[in-house]
Amino acid sequence: MVEYRIDRHSGVATYVQLVQQTKQALRLGLLRPGDKLPTAREVVEATAINPNTVLKAYRELEREGLVEARRGLGTFVRRGLGSAPADSPLRTELEQWAARAREAGLDRDDVAALFTDVLDKHFQGDPS
Amino acid sequence: MTDTAFEAAGLGKRFGRRGGWALRDCALRLPAGRVCALVGPNGAGKSTLLALAAGLLAPTEGRVTVLGTAPAAARARVGYVAQDKPLHPQLTIADTLRMGAGLNPGHWDADTAERVVAAGDLDPKAKVRSLSGGQRTRVALALALGKRPGLLLLDEPMADLDPLARHDLMGTLMAQAAQYGTTIVMSSHVVAELEDSCDHLLLLGGGRVRLAGEIDDLLAAHARVAVPAGTDLAPHTVVESRTTGRQLTALLRPASPLPSDWRATTPSLEELVLSHLRNPDALALTPAHEEAAA
Amino acid sequence: MSAVPLPAPAAARPRLAPWLLRLHRPALYVWTALVLLTAAALLWLGGPLTDAAASAWDQYGACDWSAHCSYDQPAILRYKDVANYTTLAVTAVPFLVAAWAGAALFGREMESGTAQLTWTQGVTPTRWLTTRLALPAALITTGTSLLVLLHHLAWTAGEGRIDTAKPWYDTLTLHANGPTTVALALTGLAAGALAGLTLRRTLPALCVSLLAVACTRGLADLAMPHLWPAVTRVTDLRQDPAGTGLTVDQGLVTATGRHIADPGCGSTLAPECRALYERLDATAFYTDYHPASHYWPLQLTTTLALLTLTALLTTIGYVTLRRTTGGRRRGAAV
Repeated sequence: MVEYRIDRHSGVATYVQLVQQTKQALRLGLLRPGDKLPTAREVVEATAINPNTVLKAYRELEREGLVEARRGLGTFVRRGLGSAPADSPLRTELEQWAARAREAGLDRDDVAALFTDVLDKHFQGDPS
Repeated sequence: MTDTAFEAAGLGKRFGRRGGWALRDCALRLPAGRVCALVGPNGAGKSTLLALAAGLLAPTEGRVTVLGTAPAAARARVGYVAQDKPLHPQLTIADTLRMGAGLNPGHWDADTAERVVAAGDLDPKAKVRSLSGGQRTRVALALALGKRPGLLLLDEPMADLDPLARHDLMGTLMAQAAQYGTTIVMSSHVVAELEDSCDHLLLLGGGRVRLAGEIDDLLAAHARVAVPAGTDLAPHTVVESRTTGRQLTALLRPASPLPSDWRATTPSLEELVLSHLRNPDALALTPAHEEAAA
Repeated sequence: MSAVPLPAPAAARPRLAPWLLRLHRPALYVWTALVLLTAAALLWLGGPLTDAAASAWDQYGACDWSAHCSYDQPAILRYKDVANYTTLAVTAVPFLVAAWAGAALFGREMESGTAQLTWTQGVTPTRWLTTRLALPAALITTGTSLLVLLHHLAWTAGEGRIDTAKPWYDTLTLHANGPTTVALALTGLAAGALAGLTLRRTLPALCVSLLAVACTRGLADLAMPHLWPAVTRVTDLRQDPAGTGLTVDQGLVTATGRHIADPGCGSTLAPECRALYERLDATAFYTDYHPASHYWPLQLTTTLALLTLTALLTTIGYVTLRRTTGGRRRGAAV
C-alpha cells in the first residue's frame, strides 16, 4: 500500500506529486502488479485534497499503462516500473559497493558526487 | 436529476428598501460534484449568496436554483453551516445529533454524523454551551453532513479551527465529496486555505462576481508577463500592470498566443485572486460573460 | 394497465413538536408550576378562605355597635390578600406569555441563528412557525382557561357573602373571571412571534411584545363597554344617579329629552342644586351602564375582538417569514 504525502510548497502540481509518488513506490517494489491503489476517498480523507485531483492522477497513471480501473472494485497496478525492486540483485550489489566505499574512507558527499558523475555519464539525455 | 448543482442568473439582494446591494447581477453555474471556493474580501456578499442558496433569504431580483429546483423546495437535500455555527446551547452533542435525525426523517446518516463527532474526541454527553469554537464547528458540520446533502454550503467553515483540526475536517469533507459526489461550496477570505481542496472558484468583490470557473481553466486563461516598459499589451485584456524601472510586469488574459519573448508564466491562484481584487475595474471572467462574448 | 402503482409511502415528516418541548423545557416547567400553584391558591380561596371570611362577616354583621365585638378579622384580611394576589397572577399571564414568546421562543432563536438552523434541517420556515405557534397556543389556552375558570368559581363562591369581595365589573376581576384573559394571552403569543421575527433580537422583541400586550389590554378596556348596547336608566333628580354595573356614561336629561353633562352637584335636596337644574332645564339623571346580565355578551364580544387581532398578527407573521425566506410558491415559478 502506498501513502501519499502532499508538499504544498514544492511548486509541483498536486496531481503530479501523486503520480511521482506512485511511480516511486512501483520502482521500489512497494507496489506490485495486482496491488490495489487506495481509493480516492481514502486518499482525500488523509490528505484533504480535492477528489478530482486524485482521479486525475489515476487517469494519468492509467494512460501510461501502469494501472487499470476495474469498475466497482478500484484501481489496480498492471505492471511494475524499472527493474530495481527493493530486494533485486542490483540493489544488493549497490549496497555492497557502498559498504566498500565507506571502508575506503569516502564520506557521504564523496560517494554522492561519484555516483552522480557515473549516473550522468551513463544516462545522459534520458529523462529524469 | 441534473448535472448543475447551483445556478444563479441576474441574482441580486438588497437589505431594506433603501439599503445598499449586498449582491448584484450575480450569474454563475456550478456543475454537480465540484468543490467550489467562494472567495472574496469581507463584505463581498459571500454570506448573502450562501444564505440565498440555502433558502434562508429571498432574492430581491433574479433567480437562484439549487439541485435543479428553488432553494425552498430543496431544503432536505441542502446542508448549510452558518458562519457563527449556531447550535442550541442547552442540548448535549448526542441530543443535537438526535435532533438532526428527528428533523431529517428518512435521510439521516447517523454513522457519518457520529464519526465526525467522534474524530474530534468529543464527549457526546457534553453540553453544546461548553464547547470551544472548533468543537462547535465539528458538531455543526456533523449535523450538516448527517443529512447526506447533495449540496453542502459552508460559510467560513474553517475560521475557528487549529491547523490540525482544519486538515482533519477538510479531509472529512473531501471524503464525503469523493464517496457521494457531494457538491461543496465553501467561503473563505483566505485563498491558500482552499487551494488544494477546491477545483472551482467563485470570486466575489463588491457584491459582484469577478471570476468564476474551474480553477485550472482560470489559471490557464491568464498569464503573468515581464516585458520592456512601454510595450503595447493590446489586444490582450490587462487585469493588472506595473512598471518598475525599465520593466513592465502584468497579469493578462491573452486574446491570442503571446510572443515568446514576453516571458509568460502561469500565475498562482493567490496571485490571480489578489490581482482581480486590487483592480475592481478589470473585466470579470465568468461563464455569463463568455456567453455574452460568444 | 395491470401494474397498479403502490401508494407511495407517506414521506416521514420531521418531528418538530418533541424538540420544541425539549428545547423549551424550563419554560414548560415554569408554566406548569405557575398554573398549578395559582390553581391551588384559587381552590383554597374559593373553599376554606371564602367560608372563613364569610362567617367572619356574619360575626361582624351580628355585632351590635355598642358592645365589644369579636370577629375573625384575620380571616377577612387573608381572604382579601389571596383574592388580590390570585387576580393579579391571572391578569399577568398574558404579559408573561408575551415576554417569553418575544424573547425566548422567537427573538433569541432568530438572533442566535438556531431558527435558521432548523430551516436548513429539512423543515420549512412555515412549518416551523406553525409548530411554534400551535403547541404553545394549546398549552397556553389549556392553562389559562383552567385558571380563569377557577377564578370565576372562587369569585362566585364569595359573591354576596363577603362584603369586601370585588364587584363583577371591577376591571381586574372582570378580565380574570372570563375568556378575555385567554384571548389576550394568545394575542401575547402572536405579538411575541411577530416581534421576534421582525426585530430578530431578544431584548427589543421582549420589550415590544410587552408593550403591545399592554396597549392591547388598555384598548380592550376602553372598547369593551361599547361592544354591546348599554342599558339606560333614568332616575329622579331627588335621588342620586343610579345603576350598578359597568358605567358607560352618566348625565342629565333635559325637558326636551336631550342628554347633557352632569355638573356633579348631587341630588335636589340641596336648594342650590335644584336651582342649577332648573336653569339647565334638567328633569332627571340618566345612566348608561351594563348590568350584571351583560357580563357574557361583553366578555364574548371583547374576546372575539382580541382573537381577531391575534389572527391578524399571526397572518402578518407568516407573510413576513415568507417574504424574508422566499416561500415555495415564489421560488417554484422559476
